[in-house]
Amino acid sequence: MTSAVAAIGRSGARQLSVLGGLARFVVRTVRASARLTRAGRWVTLRVLLNQIRFTALQAIGLVAFLAAILAFLVISQSIRQLGRLGALDSLGTIMVVAVIRELGPLLTALIVVSRSGTAIAAEMATNRVMGEVTALEAMGIDPYIYLVLPRMLGAIVSVASLMVLFDAVALVSGYVAAATSGMAFTRYTAIVLKTLSATDVWLTLAKGLFFGSAVAVFCSYHGLAVKAGPTEIPQAVTRGVVSTIVAIFILSALFVLVVT
Amino acid sequence: MRPSATAGAQVPAVAGAPPLVYRDVDLLGRADRPDRRFSMVVEAGAVVAAIGDEGSGIEALGRLALGFDRPATGAVEVFGVPVAALPYDRLLVFRRRLGYLPQGDGLLQNLTLRDNVALPVRFATDHRLQEVDRRVAQLVDDFRLRAIATLRPAQATEEDRRRAAIARSAALDPALVVLELPFVGLTSRAASDLLERVRRSEDGSARAVLLTSRDLSPSVRPAVTRVVRVVDGVAVDDRK
Repeated sequence: MTSAVAAIGRSGARQLSVLGGLARFVVRTVRASARLTRAGRWVTLRVLLNQIRFTALQAIGLVAFLAAILAFLVISQSIRQLGRLGALDSLGTIMVVAVIRELGPLLTALIVVSRSGTAIAAEMATNRVMGEVTALEAMGIDPYIYLVLPRMLGAIVSVASLMVLFDAVALVSGYVAAATSGMAFTRYTAIVLKTLSATDVWLTLAKGLFFGSAVAVFCSYHGLAVKAGPTEIPQAVTRGVVSTIVAIFILSALFVLVVT
Repeated sequence: MRPSATAGAQVPAVAGAPPLVYRDVDLLGRADRPDRRFSMVVEAGAVVAAIGDEGSGIEALGRLALGFDRPATGAVEVFGVPVAALPYDRLLVFRRRLGYLPQGDGLLQNLTLRDNVALPVRFATDHRLQEVDRRVAQLVDDFRLRAIATLRPAQATEEDRRRAAIARSAALDPALVVLELPFVGLTSRAASDLLERVRRSEDGSARAVLLTSRDLSPSVRPAVTRVVRVVDGVAVDDRK
């Protein structure tokens, strides 16, 4: 009994220590941004644009495809069920609440985690193992400025932009699904617009900020935590991705609590 | 090109202090052996070679000078400042006064050799882009990197990688450069050429250099002002 309680305590302490480490990590990254030199700003901007190209631009096709499929499936099924009940006006609620407000941001963040989160964690871990982080520190360059900051900004911009894209494609695809069931464009628009509000726009941007930060922070943190050698890199990637996914679901739940 | 005023002003050096001092330092982590302590001074403008076999303790000299490791006993002072006592942010800024070549080369693999050389100039100075580009071009020429400047480290030869890494260590024109095993795998001609380039500062004056090595080839010896042999964590022979 005592050992079980001790094990729970140890695990709790470990989790708290990781949370503390993550908080310090975020504070250091934000503080580091104030110390960027003039030429450093240009380099950071270049790295940031590269990150956005890889994280957002190269993921446009995948996000659009999944948004179209998801919205088509959800709306097709909903029209069939709601039609039987004579509650087609609730279609807007399903489209906005389920697809745009919840599933869209979740799915977008998961796509970014699987594509870019893995890359960030693996890159950071490799930087650590190859001694590049030490080399940066030896030159007086804060690794948080050079490595973490552009990835964090890149992930935030990318996730927010992809969420907007997801929403736009989902709305169009939802209409296609509605049209195949015989619903007119004006009716579909009226139903959706009745539920859609400015809050949804702010919510999308806020989720972009938090989910994007989560991807960069968790993956960078676990990548840079590697110590022993190359064999630790896959483990760091797994830890980074799994903890980001858990964090995104928790953040999603917190958003529901705050908004409602 | 020196670190920017804002970057360098945070930890003033002690006027007239030697560039690097090790005082009663335990290099091998042997608290039970007070007779195994290392002391050495690297004077301004001197090229000091610390020679020792694997496990002799020379591996610790660079990390102690940079403040990566704290000495368990004694003190390490760089320009009169006990580096290990500096908090992380100030230590980062202070390190810009030193050039450092880690064992291997420490080049960033996803950057070209030119971008590797440019890194400290871009991030540790507050100069305009044109000034930064001018300094980088000068370093690329000085260290004969022009023809291979656009290669990534994995595409370059060992000598070219070392050349780029040493150019990077001299990028901010530091008064002290610490080189860890800089000549491993190089021909004696390349080794003497690199040492000759790194020991001269931008204005032509002699720069203090501490290099660690397993042994010293005859081609390098004329450029070295002092050879300190380290055995079992202790300087057993110190020859000018």
